[in-house]
Amino acid sequence: MGQEHIIRSNTFRWALVVAGVFAVFVVVLFGFIYWQTDQYLIARSDKMIESELNFIVGLPGEHRLDAIKDHLKQDSRGVQYAGLFSADGRKIAGNLERFPPDLQMDGSVRSISVERALPAGSETHVIRAIARHMANGDALVIGREVDEAREISHVVGQALALGLLPGLCLCLLAGAWLSIRAQKRVEEVNQRVQRIVAGDLRERLPHRDVDEPFSKLAAIVNGMLDEMEAMIHALAGVGNDIAHDLRTPLTRARLALERGRSNATTLEQLQIVVDRAIANIDQSLAIITGLLRLAEIENSRRTAAFGAVSLHEMLQEVRDIYEPIAENKDIDLQVGVQQHLSVRGDRDLLFEAIANLVDNAIKFTPEGGRVSVELARGNNETIVRISDTGPGINDQEREAVLRRFYRSDKIRSTPGVGLGLNLVAAIVKLHGFRLAIHPGPGGRLEIICPDHRSG
Amino acid sequence: MTKVLLIEDDSETAEEITAELADRGFEVEWSASGIEGLDKARSSRPDAMIVDRLLPGMDGLTVIEALRKEQVRTPVLVLSALGAVDDRVRGLRMGGDDYLTKPFALVELVARIEALLRRPAESRETTLRVGPLELDLIERTAKRGDRVIDLLPREFRLLEYMMQRSDQLLTRAMLLEEVWNYKFVPATNLVDVHMGRLRHKVDGPDESPMIHNVRGAGFILRTGL
Repeated sequence: MGQEHIIRSNTFRWALVVAGVFAVFVVVLFGFIYWQTDQYLIARSDKMIESELNFIVGLPGEHRLDAIKDHLKQDSRGVQYAGLFSADGRKIAGNLERFPPDLQMDGSVRSISVERALPAGSETHVIRAIARHMANGDALVIGREVDEAREISHVVGQALALGLLPGLCLCLLAGAWLSIRAQKRVEEVNQRVQRIVAGDLRERLPHRDVDEPFSKLAAIVNGMLDEMEAMIHALAGVGNDIAHDLRTPLTRARLALERGRSNATTLEQLQIVVDRAIANIDQSLAIITGLLRLAEIENSRRTAAFGAVSLHEMLQEVRDIYEPIAENKDIDLQVGVQQHLSVRGDRDLLFEAIANLVDNAIKFTPEGGRVSVELARGNNETIVRISDTGPGINDQEREAVLRRFYRSDKIRSTPGVGLGLNLVAAIVKLHGFRLAIHPGPGGRLEIICPDHRSG
Repeated sequence: MTKVLLIEDDSETAEEITAELADRGFEVEWSASGIEGLDKARSSRPDAMIVDRLLPGMDGLTVIEALRKEQVRTPVLVLSALGAVDDRVRGLRMGGDDYLTKPFALVELVARIEALLRRPAESRETTLRVGPLELDLIERTAKRGDRVIDLLPREFRLLEYMMQRSDQLLTRAMLLEEVWNYKFVPATNLVDVHMGRLRHKVDGPDESPMIHNVRGAGFILRTGL
C-alpha cells in the first residue's frame, strides 16, 4: 500500500475535510474569545478611568495636584495618563504635555493617540481617555493604555498554536489510520473472496464483533455464502444422479455392442444387438432432453404469452387422448367437469403438466383400477384434481418425488425417466400455481390455481 | 433425381446424412458454411434443403430468411441442437417448413424430407380417397368399400392426415406434432395405442391391411397391396 494510496483513499479525504472544518472552527472560536476578552478589559478600564476622574474632580482644588501625582506614582507599568490643563490650554500637572486634540471635552471614554514624554524623547501611544471641565475652568484628562489586550492576543495565539496544530495532526493521523485500517480489511476480504472465486467454498469473510458495520456486512455475506455452498452441494448431488442415470443405459448399450461384435455370427443377430444399443442410447437422450426441457421451463421468466386457457376443454382433450390407453390397461378413466373454468397461463405447458399427471396416474395404477380427473372450484381458486387407486405417495416420499430422478421402490420396474413430476412442479411454479400432493391411500394430486386479483 | 442441399458444419453428421439420403435415391449437395450454402441454394436450385441452425459465418435462419426474401420457396427442414419450444417457433416463423431437434434418428430425417417434398397441395376436394377408403370431410364420415367406419373425432383427424400422405412413412413424432398438437414427447406410447384402435377399425378381420407399422420408425397407409 503506497502513500499515494492512502492520500487518495476516501476515508483520508474525509479526514482532511474534517480537519479543515475543525481548524476554521477553532480559529473562529479563539477569535471570538479574544474579541470578547478585549471588550471586557476595555469596559473595565473605562470604568476605572471614569471613577478616577470623578474622584479627582470631586476633591477640593488644593488636593487635586497631589492626587494626580499619587495616581501617576502608583503606576509601576507606566500605563496611566493624567493631565490638568488651565482654561487657556497650559499644562498645570500630569504626564501629558498638551491637551489631546482628538479628545472631546465632557464626552465619554474614547480611544485617542497621545505623545508620551520620555527621557529620550517622546512616543505615540493609543490610549483610552476622558476629559472633564472643572468648576474653576481647568480641564482634567485621565487616560489608560489598555496593554492587556496585547498580552491576551499573545496568549490566545500561543493557545492556538498549542491546541490547533496538535489537533490537526491528530485529525490527519486518525484519518490516515482509519483509511489504512479500512484498506487492510478490504484487502483481507479481497484475498478471501479470491480464494472463494478460485473454488474454496468453505472460505468465509473475517468478522470480529457484531456491532461494527463492517463485521455486520461480513456476517451477511457469510450467510449468503453458507446458502450458496449448500446449494452448490445439492447441485453436485443432482449432477451425480444425472451421471448415474445416464451411465446405466450407456453401459448397457456398450455391453450389448461389445458382445454383439464378438458373438454375432449373422446379420440378424447383429441387428438385434444394435437395436438394443439404440434403444439404450435413446433412453440416455430422453434423459438429456428431459433435463433440458426442465431447465427451459425453470429458467423461463416469460409470462407474456399467457392467455386464457379453458380447463374444461383441455380436460376433454386429455380424456380423448388417454381413454384408449386406460382402456388397454382395464382402467376406468373418469373426467368430471361440472363447470366451465378458465385460468391464465400457457396452454401447451398446462396441457403438458396435466397430461403428465394423468399419464403417471394410469401408469402407476394396477389393472382394474380407476383414475379420475376433476375440475373444481375451491376458495377463490380453481383446482384440477387427479386421483387414482394406485399406491399413492406417502409422507416420506412427498419431498422425494419432486427430486430429480426419484423413483419409488414400489415402481422401480416401471419404465420412465423420473423427471415427470419435476416438470409438472416447474410448470406449476412458473404459473404461480401450487402443486398439492395428498397422502395415500390412493394417489391424489392437485394443481391449485389461485384466481387473479386483477381479474 | 431429387436434389437436396445440406448445410451443416459438422462433417461427420453431414456424411451420415448424405449417405442415408443417397441410399434413398436423393442427390445430395453439401455446404459446411452459411455463406457457401446460400450461394449453392441460389445457383443449383435444389428441391429441398436441410439447414443447421448454428453455422459458422452466417446463421442458418439468416440463410433461410435471405432466400425467402428472394422469393425462393424451396421447402426447408431446420436442424438444431436447440430444442426449446421458442426456438422451434422462431425457426418456423423465419421461413423453415419443419424443425428437427438434434439428436434425431435418420429415419425421422428422411421421413420429414419426403413429407416436405410431397406436401399435399391445397385442394378443394371434400372427399379423400385412398384405395377402397373414402373420407367425407363435410359429413365427417368414413367408408371402406361399402362398410361404414365409425370414427371418434381424433381418429377421423388421424385418418385424414394419413390419407393426405398415403404411401409415406409417418413417424410418431410427426403424428404427435400434427395430429395431437403435442409440443412434447409423452411418456406413454400414445400414438401406438391410438393407431392400434384406428387400424382395428380400418382393417377388418378379412380385409387386407392398409395401415402398416414400420418397425422402429412409424406408420404407412398403403394404397394398394
